[in-house]
Amino acid sequence: MIELQHVTKLYPASARPALDDVSTEIDKGEFVFLIGSSGSGKSTFLRLLLKEDDPTKGTVVVNGKTLNTMSKWNVPKLRRTMGCVFQDFRLLRNRTVEQNVAFALEVINKPQRTIKRVVPEVLEMVGLEGKAGRLPGELSGGEQQRVAIARAFVNRPLVLLADEPTGNLDPETSEGIMLLLERINRTGTTVIMATHDYHIVDSMRRRVIELNGGQITRDQSRGVYGVGR
Amino acid sequence: MRVNFVLSEVATGLRRNLTMTVAMILTTAISLGLMGTGLLIAGMISDMKEIYYDKVQVSIFLADDVTEEQRAGVEDQLAQLQSEGEVQSYLYESKEDAYARFQQQFSQQPELVQNTPPDALPESFRVELVNPERYEVIAAQFPDGTNGVDQVRDEGDFLDRLFSLLNGARNATIAVAVVQALAALLLISNTIQLAAFNRRNETNIMRLVGASRWYTQLPFILEAALAGLIGALLAIGGLVLTKLLFVDKALAGPIKAGIIPPVDWSAIATISPIIAAAGVGLAAIAAYVTLRLYVRL
Repeated sequence: MIELQHVTKLYPASARPALDDVSTEIDKGEFVFLIGSSGSGKSTFLRLLLKEDDPTKGTVVVNGKTLNTMSKWNVPKLRRTMGCVFQDFRLLRNRTVEQNVAFALEVINKPQRTIKRVVPEVLEMVGLEGKAGRLPGELSGGEQQRVAIARAFVNRPLVLLADEPTGNLDPETSEGIMLLLERINRTGTTVIMATHDYHIVDSMRRRVIELNGGQITRDQSRGVYGVGR
Repeated sequence: MRVNFVLSEVATGLRRNLTMTVAMILTTAISLGLMGTGLLIAGMISDMKEIYYDKVQVSIFLADDVTEEQRAGVEDQLAQLQSEGEVQSYLYESKEDAYARFQQQFSQQPELVQNTPPDALPESFRVELVNPERYEVIAAQFPDGTNGVDQVRDEGDFLDRLFSLLNGARNATIAVAVVQALAALLLISNTIQLAAFNRRNETNIMRLVGASRWYTQLPFILEAALAGLIGALLAIGGLVLTKLLFVDKALAGPIKAGIIPPVDWSAIATISPIIAAAGVGLAAIAAYVTLRLYVRL
């Protein structure tokens, strides 16, 4: 499903590699926590999966496609099979909840008929059926993140990448978001979540990949955040 | 492709940087207007060349005291040259003909006409050569001051100087147009960068959800193309006004006298599509290149 083979990523501005000879494999339907301190390479890991960047060395394979050799024109196709959620939600402030979700489908040319059908479905799934007409500014942080998740999931991606999705949320709200991500995972979608939130990691007991200085220092199924945190 | 979506993006983009959009349209208009002027002058020059070079190339002015035989002798020589294939045609112009033509040419300056006695202008043969370059050969046949010939003049020589002046005017206009075009292109590039920055949230999301590059870029390219089109329309309007208010009014006299060819509507109609295509095409290309070079989409 997802495979990194001896992946090294050097950024021109820094002498130390962001990722240093990283090899790992993630199967379809897995739920993986990517942990590590700031600058450990978590974000680079996610960026490489989206082909936002190319590795300096090594191979990245997603959904059976080698990203290194993928042409620029095929990148949109790749991204249509992936959903992204961020710490800062990244919603369009001047569009309603419904429009924000529909936007993701409109710009990939989905027929209006489909959009009309699936947007209410996904809003119901994330628990926002009554707030379709609200603007993001009128919602709480947790609700905004639900909109972002709805937008990431509305096209039924094979992989959902979440970069610190609970970073801006209180523990109680975070728990709701995690339940939602779990539910999405149960539909067969692979979830890869970068996080600092040890409460969440410890309570969920899922696979944990720990990065440190760009290297994988731990890969543990049903892991915890770790000692010495 | 969702037409509504793209069009509303274009409209929002143009509205959001109104001042930049106006600057972009105006520079484009000035540049295209000058380009059109250059093309019109070029057309005029080729019309004038036809008028002048076809009319006359060499004038053989006869002396005041020319005799009947001498005049007939010159004509015989010309007929001889015509049969040899040197002379295309020739035309005799009497003193009266010359005066009539003078009156017509300077109808705007009646004082000059009044102060010129009708017999002041010499009679002449106007000779069109098969090959204008062969002027020296012809001139050698009619030495100045002999056989009733006063002097032989290569009108082409004067025309060459006139046309080099006109060509210079055309080149200067086009040079200014090119400099303006450069300014317009830089402004377009700047405006597109600004527009892309303003809409970075939208385009970032589009990129992440897998919208095609084309879908993401099209609104920006159309935005530039639309500005280019409006600039072109303004430029064409400017040319129409220039014709109506300047060429048709201030230059009415020389045009009527046949000194300067008129600027026809058909000439403007011919260059208008060129201007429009140049405006739209260059703006769109500038936008596309800008997006490729500076903007991550």
